Amino acid sequence: MRPNLLIALRFLGARKRAMLMSLTGIVFGVAFFVITQAQTAGFESYFIKTILGVNGMVRIEDRIQSTRTLEAGAGSGFAIAVEGSVKYIPGVQFPNKIVDALKAFPEVTAASPVIRGNATLIANFREYDTKPYGIDLATFVAVSDLETQIIDGSLKTFGENPYGLIVGVRIARRMNLQVGDSVLLDSVGEPQRFRVAALFETGIDQVDRERVYLHLPAIRTLLNKPAGASFIQLNLQDQNAAPAMAARIEQTIAHSTMPWQEREKTWLQVFSVLRISSALTISTIIFISGLGMFNTLVMIVVDKTREIAILRSMGYTREDISRIFMLQGGIVVAVGVVLGCGAAALGTYALSHIPIRIRGIFASDHFVVLWDPWHYVAAAVIATMVVLVASYFPARRAARLEPGSIIRGSSS
Amino acid sequence: MSLLRVENLHRHLGEGDTRVHALRGVSFTIEPGRTYAIAGHSGSGKSTLLYLLGLLDIPDEGRIWVGDRETSRLTDDERTATRNAHMGFVFQFHFLLKEFTALENVMLPMRKLGRLSEDAMRAKAADLLTAVGLADKTRRLGTQLSGGEQQRVAIARALANDPSLILADEPTGNLDHANADRVFALLSDIAHQRGQALLMVSHNPELAARCDQVFRMQDGVILA
Ligand SMILES: Nc1ncnc2c1ncn2[C@@H]1O[C@H](COP(=O)(O)OP(=O)(O)O)[C@@H](O)[C@H]1O
Ligand SMILES: [Mg+2]
Repeated sequence: MRPNLLIALRFLGARKRAMLMSLTGIVFGVAFFVITQAQTAGFESYFIKTILGVNGMVRIEDRIQSTRTLEAGAGSGFAIAVEGSVKYIPGVQFPNKIVDALKAFPEVTAASPVIRGNATLIANFREYDTKPYGIDLATFVAVSDLETQIIDGSLKTFGENPYGLIVGVRIARRMNLQVGDSVLLDSVGEPQRFRVAALFETGIDQVDRERVYLHLPAIRTLLNKPAGASFIQLNLQDQNAAPAMAARIEQTIAHSTMPWQEREKTWLQVFSVLRISSALTISTIIFISGLGMFNTLVMIVVDKTREIAILRSMGYTREDISRIFMLQGGIVVAVGVVLGCGAAALGTYALSHIPIRIRGIFASDHFVVLWDPWHYVAAAVIATMVVLVASYFPARRAARLEPGSIIRGSSS
Repeated sequence: MSLLRVENLHRHLGEGDTRVHALRGVSFTIEPGRTYAIAGHSGSGKSTLLYLLGLLDIPDEGRIWVGDRETSRLTDDERTATRNAHMGFVFQFHFLLKEFTALENVMLPMRKLGRLSEDAMRAKAADLLTAVGLADKTRRLGTQLSGGEQQRVAIARALANDPSLILADEPTGNLDHANADRVFALLSDIAHQRGQALLMVSHNPELAARCDQVFRMQDGVILA
């Protein structure tokens, strides 16, 4: 074994108890850091999965009309929109044309036109305000997780009945609706009869409380809207490419196109603030361990002053002495990170099996965790930096000791 | 060529009012294989001189040659390497590292020098401990040895890298008469046997007289 490492190990042994305290702190700090990150990131990614399953990755909404254009050379066919002179016309006028145009984008895996409106649901002598969504079932299941959101009844029954209805679970509860029940929807003063084919639950309160799905032709008559669509919902190969794709699509088809990252900005910010603040809070455990470690190392330097002098006299350089103390920190942090990561993995596993009922922004019956190696790397980097700084100053102090004056001080 | 030569060494110690001119122009030469004593009253500058010779301290004036190498321009690392390869120290207090066994203490300078394999270091350390009469106590920690035994371990440690010069500052100062005699005999016998020079500070005139040459110090100078 390298002599410096050997000496470092033995010096550590001289302050076993204090070092075990610092070690424990690092183990807990690293473990808690990873566990809280796994959990907050877990909830975040589960939220994203939920929201994508409900509202899709990209939505093409309002048509953009430039009120003034510059002809870029006569007859060239190119027109440049002048800034500040853009008008948004709500809705998509020719959804089929746009769906066709999207075929030029291989990254777009599915596109489904949707009509959205307002209607009163009437059943059991009660009324309830809903937001009906008219969908094309075949394509809509490709741009959402509707299939897995069904908790009662079936999409098949819905598909077979032109006046089938899929009702949000909270509406069903409030209105005491069962699959098979007959209900009325009224939007323009001409109530129409529908049959509840299925109930869905997304976990997102607002959606489960106000949304009902029906077929596109049915909503056209319900809302008296013979053509067009409110928006087109898209699915992409890569959810992270949504902003770039949305920008490209917007340019090509002249409709305002919004990626999910922009649509859900508020919640995404809440999650990222939560993640950062928990990282900072937990890091204080590591900082405090580093402080304890600094103290212990200073004590060892004081304790071992004579030994340092004798090591210097027998040929150990200042750098050797400095390394001996840096190594002590290094050994503790290495062991701490390994044990901490092990504890973190166990803790994360255990946490993911703790039952907890969550509804509101998503639906889960246990803690959601995300296994991400970067959480472990981040914890290891933080612990290593803290301990390196904590070891640096005692090490420098030890290296600066003058062997001559120490030996002189201890002899007569 | 002489082993060590010093010329006109001056050293001041302390600051302000307590500043002392501890060495006032010391010159002498040490030849290989001979034993030297530095004798003198307490406070005459013996230790100060020894630390300068051992390159643990730097003179305010004057020069020190180790072999043919003048040391005033050496870096701290070069001085340290010179100590490691050519010098062995024994102090009044043994300074054993108490987390290490006797054998491991003796191996520390060898580990730093790094010329021998682990097994060879172990064998050599055991030989040295045998030479100082501690063959059966190689596995003891410093705390499990008597004062005289600890000082003998320190001697074995000083000999670890076959230094050409052993520097000892009152190595027997802390020992009773019998042990003092034994430690001194050991040091001077080993030095003679191995052709190593020994420079020993002692205010015990009887022991000093048993060296090949005695330097008498008074108020920072060597008396003729
Ligand atoms: N750190 C110091 N500060 C001031 N004076 C010192 C210091 N160390 C030693 N001295 C003085 O230097 C002189 C020489 O000391 P030293 O070499 O230790 O003497 P010796 O070893 O012969 O007893 C003494 O007068 C002592 O008081
Ligand atoms: Mg002295």
